[in-house]
Amino acid sequence: MRLSTSWMYQQSLNTMINQQTALAATQNEVSTGNRINVASDDPAGAGQVVSLNHVIAANTQYSSTISSATTRLNTEASTLTSVNSVLDTARTLALQAVNGTLSDSDRKSIASQLSQIHDQLLQLSNTTDSNGNALFAGTSTTKTPFQVGANGSVTYGGNDAQQRSAVGSGLQVATSDPGSGLFMNIPNGNGSFQASAGGANTGTLVVGSNSVTDLAALNSTKAASGGGYTITFGAGGAWTATDANGNAVKDSSGNPVGGTYSDGGSISFNGMTISMSGTPATGDTVSVGTGGQQDIFSTLNTMISALQSGASDTQLTNVMSRQIESIDQSQSAISSVQVSIGGRLDTLQQQQGAYQDLNVTYQSALSDVKGADAYTAISNLSLQSTALQASQQVFAQVKSMSLFNYLK
Amino acid sequence: MSNLLNIGASGLNAAQVALTTVGNNISNVNTAGYSRQTVVQTESIAQSAGKYTIGSGVDIQSVQRAYSDFLTTALWTANSGMQGATTTNNLATTLNSSLSASGNLQGALDSFYGGFSTVANTPGVASSRQSLLGSASQMVTVFNTLGQQLAAQQSQVNAQVKTTVDSINTVASNLAAINTKIHEAGTNVPNDLLDQRDNLVQSLSGYIGVSAYTQSDGTISVYASTGQALVSGNKSFALQTANNQYDASRTEVLDSTGNVVSGKISGGTLGSLLNYRTNVLDGVQNQLGQAAVALSTSVNTQQAKGLDLNGNQGGAMFSVPTPAVLASNLNKGTASASASITDASQLTGSDYVLSYDGSKWNLATTAGQNVPMTANADGTYSAAGMTLSLSGTAQAGDTFQIQPTRQASTGLKLAMTDPNGIAAAAALNAKAATANTGTGSISAVTVTDPTNASLLSGATVSFPSGSTYQVTNSAGTVLASGSYAPGQSISANGWSVTPSGTPAAGDKFSIGANSNGLNDTSNALALAGLADTKVLNGGTQSVIDAYGTLTTTIGTVGSQASSNVTTQTSLYNQAMSAQQSVSGVNLDEEAASMVKYQQAYQASAQVISAAQTIFSSLISAIRTG
Repeated sequence: MRLSTSWMYQQSLNTMINQQTALAATQNEVSTGNRINVASDDPAGAGQVVSLNHVIAANTQYSSTISSATTRLNTEASTLTSVNSVLDTARTLALQAVNGTLSDSDRKSIASQLSQIHDQLLQLSNTTDSNGNALFAGTSTTKTPFQVGANGSVTYGGNDAQQRSAVGSGLQVATSDPGSGLFMNIPNGNGSFQASAGGANTGTLVVGSNSVTDLAALNSTKAASGGGYTITFGAGGAWTATDANGNAVKDSSGNPVGGTYSDGGSISFNGMTISMSGTPATGDTVSVGTGGQQDIFSTLNTMISALQSGASDTQLTNVMSRQIESIDQSQSAISSVQVSIGGRLDTLQQQQGAYQDLNVTYQSALSDVKGADAYTAISNLSLQSTALQASQQVFAQVKSMSLFNYLK
Repeated sequence: MSNLLNIGASGLNAAQVALTTVGNNISNVNTAGYSRQTVVQTESIAQSAGKYTIGSGVDIQSVQRAYSDFLTTALWTANSGMQGATTTNNLATTLNSSLSASGNLQGALDSFYGGFSTVANTPGVASSRQSLLGSASQMVTVFNTLGQQLAAQQSQVNAQVKTTVDSINTVASNLAAINTKIHEAGTNVPNDLLDQRDNLVQSLSGYIGVSAYTQSDGTISVYASTGQALVSGNKSFALQTANNQYDASRTEVLDSTGNVVSGKISGGTLGSLLNYRTNVLDGVQNQLGQAAVALSTSVNTQQAKGLDLNGNQGGAMFSVPTPAVLASNLNKGTASASASITDASQLTGSDYVLSYDGSKWNLATTAGQNVPMTANADGTYSAAGMTLSLSGTAQAGDTFQIQPTRQASTGLKLAMTDPNGIAAAAALNAKAATANTGTGSISAVTVTDPTNASLLSGATVSFPSGSTYQVTNSAGTVLASGSYAPGQSISANGWSVTPSGTPAAGDKFSIGANSNGLNDTSNALALAGLADTKVLNGGTQSVIDAYGTLTTTIGTVGSQASSNVTTQTSLYNQAMSAQQSVSGVNLDEEAASMVKYQQAYQASAQVISAAQTIFSSLISAIRTG
């Protein structure tokens, strides 16, 4: 085939330009370390880069959420530990008041310590996080959820909701617990019912601990009668029980409940067992109630006013025993929240670990898709530069080949 | 004697012409479109001298150009293909680099959605809200920049269409002028005119796909890919440009009689420009706009389901332009139309044409596919995620073009300036009455219709018996009631609740605005969750997915264009080298020819010198004799 001289030059020029273009692309790949610099370098890969980056961004976000949730929960947990130890002190003081005979000055000193504890507890319940938000206000914006009213009672201004954080797709973890459940709505007695000696009792009867022996029986009679009973003592410790309407309480066979109590014994009916000590006078009563609630501040206030009232040892013991039950309930509420926080922190830690592992996986997937294979790229680079040099040499040789050079 | 002299002279003359031709070939070695020329020599007619005949020298028959009709036509076709591929590749490369240079939309979207998580992590912290607004505005900027880049390419393409049409018209009229000269030259057409003629067709073929037919008189007729004549004899037929009937910023190509032929043109720069505009750029702009609309709508809707820090129902965070409804400038009626987006997930990437046939309105995509419309009671129509409102009187044949999302990316705006306006809290909460005896509880109140006017006005859900429920408002009006089974949902006033546990007879729950729970972040979490919510294309893609698809689409356009330009260039090179193998000048060949004709010239000169020697020896013989 004939070759046209100018086209021959053009062809070898085109070859060199193409080689230069390829060389520049490889050079770019090597210097940026990226195989994909614009989407057209690898369209499907570029789409994958978008979704991988998105997953990595989501993981990073989840990880930072986990960190801040962990901080919040840790703050809450340590605050609750303080609350718990303060309540321990209160409980010890209350037990002192129950056990042994106290002088008036002893009572006063316990009362003043309890009042100190009341203030301490109030301050703890209004603890704020690093951002100045109250820890125990639920999701309310109030800065001091627990406020002391004119009559010394404490009201809760927060709400019952929990703050939540998303730590995974569809996985939310509560990062706060409302103060209402921790400090305010503390069930009376043992959590199911409370038995307390009548205020007008004249005997030495002290109501001790009480327990549920048959929950099914308790619930079924509670549903039928409303759950409020009054135990009335007759002579020699004989007792009968009436419900809120004054009707005799009947057992499952339909017979009225009743019996004789002796010092240190207990009274059982409808699934409840109430331990007592001392001797009731005729006409003394013990009221049994279910579903009552009291806040921890009232508990402390009640103890303080009982200590200050100059009541008899029996009355004081009865009052203090009930309040100790409330403290126990309060501590149990706190410890169940602490357990729950522990569980949540555990979840957070596991998720954090999972995200760290996933991050490694996704990052390596990303560099597989996007990153240049350094070995290939560099060997391509030297191959292409050799090819370009060869073309240039060929051009230089061809240039000198012309018949005109020999026609002298 | 004079015979020999004549023969020598004819040889001298032939060699001289041949040498001149060689010289011309050599001097035009680098001239584009030059066809190598050769001298055709024949023997002169012999004279009879009785018993024998002797030759009488050489004649120059013609100077021919080396030319192959087939190869030249193939070159024109290849040139159309290569110029077209190059144009597309240039545009696609620009598109790809503007995609990567306009900021990373995925990163911007992720930090925007992540901002909601940060707000949820730090309730009540003003700086988190402020930084969320910051990332929102940054994301809007990325959308706007990308949109503007695409819009800039649109106007660039439109401008290029105009200049290309101008070039076509200039070349066509030049070609007509050459045709005139060729026609005037009659039978003895100069080679340079023919070369010029072919060269003009070659440049025309770069602008637009053409087919050319050579007439017997050497003139050429050129037809565009639409079938329309561009040049015929001494006449050229100019293409025209005009604004699109709907969109004045869009340039359409018209044939010489005024018909729009944009859709029919293929090949060359013009064909590629028009094809790229319709099949790539429009789609990419719409796709990006679709993502902007879906983002804006989903965030605004979720905002409305929450309470902001001021205790108000969340306001819109973004605004996007409503779909553009463009009336045709050919409309005869007085009808006007407008459209609004009702369901962003039903939007598609296409544009639509709404036309009136004299009795009813019809909707079709710009590609011509019919789209069913539902007539609403208020006289509007619903179709493809939009509501179309029409007013005025239309005449048969009136049309409107609807671009649902074309301007959305450029027009996306951050409507919120107050960080407290971020509706992080749930709009409503439920509070159990303290006297409740059952185990029923309501943990969350879901907003189903944020547009309900009574949404926040409060209500009471009560259970007159364990198996019935009733919802009353503050005035005691019963809003809803019915039988209740555990796990059932109860709804009224645009909200719905699903109590858990077993409510006892007489239990009550009050539902009201969550104004004592403004540090609640459940709505912020829902907003953050929009990052992975499938809000586009019938609920199959999230906004980030859509951006991923867009990236792949643009990348594919780019890589196809670049591999196409490689293919077309090598086809062109092949055609060129085939054509050059016939018509191109080879200097070695010319050198050899030059030597050959030089020697022929010298030999002919010797013949003349021999004739002179013979003649002078005769003369001197006579003088001495």
